[in-house]
Amino acid sequence: MMKDTREHNWRGYLFVAPATVYLALFAFLPMVLAGYMSLHRWHLLKDEHPFIGLGNYAKMFADPFFRNAIYNTFVYVVFSVPLGVVAALAVAMLVARPLRGVGVFRTLFFIPAVSSQVALSMVWIWILLPEVGLINGAMKWLGLDGSTNFLAEPGWAMAALVAMSLWIGLGPRMIIFLAGIQSIPEQLYEAAALDGCTGWQRFRHVTLPLLAPTTLFVVVTTTIAAFQLFTPVYVMTRGGPRRTTDVVLYHIYKEAWQKFDVGMASAMSYVLLAMILVVALVQFRIMRRGLSEAGAAA
Amino acid sequence: MTDVVINPVRTRVGSSHWNGGAPVAKSLGRHGARPLHNTTNGRFLCGSRGFLATWVARRFSGGGHEWTVDSCPPRLKPWATRSLGPFGCSQRPRWALAVLLLVVFVGACGEETAQPEIVLRVANWSGAQVESSFVKLERTFREEFEAAHPGVSVRIEQIPGHGQYAPKLLMMHVAGSMPDVIQLDASSGAVFIDNGVLRDMVPFIEADAGFELDDYFENVIDIARRGDALYTIPLDFTPMMMYYNKKLFDEAGVAYPRPGWSWDDFLETAKKLTVFPEGARGPTQYGMYFENVMPFWVLWLWTNGGDVLDPTGKRAGGYFDGPKSIEAVQFLVDLMTKYRVVPHPRESAAAGVDLFRSGQAAMDVKGHWMMIDYQADGIDFGVVALPTNGVERATVVYYSGLSITTKARHPQLAWEYIKFMTSADVQVRRVASGLAISGNKAAAAHFAGTPVEDAFLAEVPYARPPWGAVVERYPFIEELGREMMEDILYSGGALSVEDALRQTTKLIDAALAEQ
Repeated sequence: MMKDTREHNWRGYLFVAPATVYLALFAFLPMVLAGYMSLHRWHLLKDEHPFIGLGNYAKMFADPFFRNAIYNTFVYVVFSVPLGVVAALAVAMLVARPLRGVGVFRTLFFIPAVSSQVALSMVWIWILLPEVGLINGAMKWLGLDGSTNFLAEPGWAMAALVAMSLWIGLGPRMIIFLAGIQSIPEQLYEAAALDGCTGWQRFRHVTLPLLAPTTLFVVVTTTIAAFQLFTPVYVMTRGGPRRTTDVVLYHIYKEAWQKFDVGMASAMSYVLLAMILVVALVQFRIMRRGLSEAGAAA
Repeated sequence: MTDVVINPVRTRVGSSHWNGGAPVAKSLGRHGARPLHNTTNGRFLCGSRGFLATWVARRFSGGGHEWTVDSCPPRLKPWATRSLGPFGCSQRPRWALAVLLLVVFVGACGEETAQPEIVLRVANWSGAQVESSFVKLERTFREEFEAAHPGVSVRIEQIPGHGQYAPKLLMMHVAGSMPDVIQLDASSGAVFIDNGVLRDMVPFIEADAGFELDDYFENVIDIARRGDALYTIPLDFTPMMMYYNKKLFDEAGVAYPRPGWSWDDFLETAKKLTVFPEGARGPTQYGMYFENVMPFWVLWLWTNGGDVLDPTGKRAGGYFDGPKSIEAVQFLVDLMTKYRVVPHPRESAAAGVDLFRSGQAAMDVKGHWMMIDYQADGIDFGVVALPTNGVERATVVYYSGLSITTKARHPQLAWEYIKFMTSADVQVRRVASGLAISGNKAAAAHFAGTPVEDAFLAEVPYARPPWGAVVERYPFIEELGREMMEDILYSGGALSVEDALRQTTKLIDAALAEQ
């Protein structure tokens, strides 16, 4: 028996070895190195790396543009996460119905998730164009003003990025919600119907509470992805207009590749990591309380 | 144990045979370690277990090569003669499998070449913008070079996008996987030149009797000089020029601009070419198109006697916030907001729509490369030197050239390649598309004689190197400049040009000081 167990263990390690080696080499090791670099003045190509302690951190928080980038990042998260989750849930409810051809819709909604973000950004540049773009064109057709250059107006650019994020992130979130919805036993709905629940009440008191664990997962992963907004900013706005879409990751990119200050870029990455960790922990805490309350109610 | 030839089978691993019964797989599968011998190119594939060799064969099955199942010649057979006992040990198949997977993973499955080839690695940015005939042309050059250097194979590594090109190369340098030759854009050259990424070419030039530096434009060559050292041989370059749409000028009855014109002349011309219908919200045709890209608008500072940095490139104070620069930026802003002869970014369409190309703007400051697009659009255009405001003519020269990296494995061969690519013979064919002016004087002269080309060539003596060739963080400064222009234009007059330049000058100096 003992021998068998040992052999099992041995095989088990073999199976997890590729993933472990991959994570250690390409995730943990770079993280440790970045932490080390963040404490130094570190030019990408120069040999001297003087130790400056928390100098990089002090400098970045003294920089109004970095604080602005943090603010913009939070604005994006605050709008794109709740809207994105609600939109995904709504679409999941729609495509959960056993309609003919519903598979086609599920596929259509998922397509953005498997496309290149650069390509999607190019499509959205076209959608948002003044006069000839999809949105402005439709507005002109309706007799409205169709000249808004969404990506060049400080008041619109961030809103445009949020709108785009709803669509790009829709697929994976929808699929997860769909799986959650389909795992809810049919009997519960039958019981609710017998109690005279309306459609909305069924959703409010059966679907939503039972989806809570799924929702937690979707919210947390969506939040993490939102903090890491980069590609659409890089392709569509370059942080503009007037730095209204300058987010933390784009700032990190500029530090590393325009100033070659990888020490500062590493320090900023750690600040981003801290932001994500704190927000994710708060979400876990709040929603776990919600979960246990739902459990107590049921 | 693997030396014995069991049932040597001569099989063609072409697609037709392979998809069918796979005789190779069969023979390999039964008899264990059987190296594959490609009789077409003389390569041996000394695999271990049958399916590994089969896998290798499958990878190379597309080329219609002849393969035989054969034994490895002794010198090409490191596995069979050394410590590869576990492969044959049938009582320890798990080990064999694990090692095998590792071998496949690492990709070290003995692909041996009978005749070692030298691979010269060359990095450039993709030629996708210039249609595929340009890519075809590049392939022709590569084949000609290979034909002249037997045993050498040139591998072109295309890295698309200017935004990622320099970062990727710098990472390759740090990681020790740098190509031998890299194509460089002068406006991002400083970081390469000043950090030991490139080799000084002077020793190669001095040792080579067949190469004359005088064959190249001097002020283009000088951009990549540091003291006596020289780091880049130019491929091609372009001064920035004022393009104008002849049709729009004719319609408005305005004479074409001539070299030596002033800012006042320019403003009058632009006003006459602007069409602002009564009651409309904005002009339907502009005098000049404007993109908020600092490499394009920095020239207005220069043609007014201002500049971004002091002559040593160490600070912006006193230059970018100096009176001449303030006046220049004020003039640009006035063109958009006061005179409305140039579209405000709010008015010009989002990325991808060029008002000059769509015939809605009569002039634009661009380089030689835009000619390809304008010709394709059927625009009847002329070019003229930039207007100046009381100073001598000035423009910038943006160029690309070839450099040898310090980590090059074949520096001498890299030099041969650069000499070949910058030679008049290759250059004449390379710039024939209208991409740019060849850095080689003889090749450039080949295209002289048309009004447009002559206008470009006439500006070469007035062309200055871009700051990016000298100042490492200049790409960042250009980003600050772009943001500053946005701040001014979107503030609706709340932010004065003077204040904006003062603030940005402080940011530039801070970025330069911490270098």
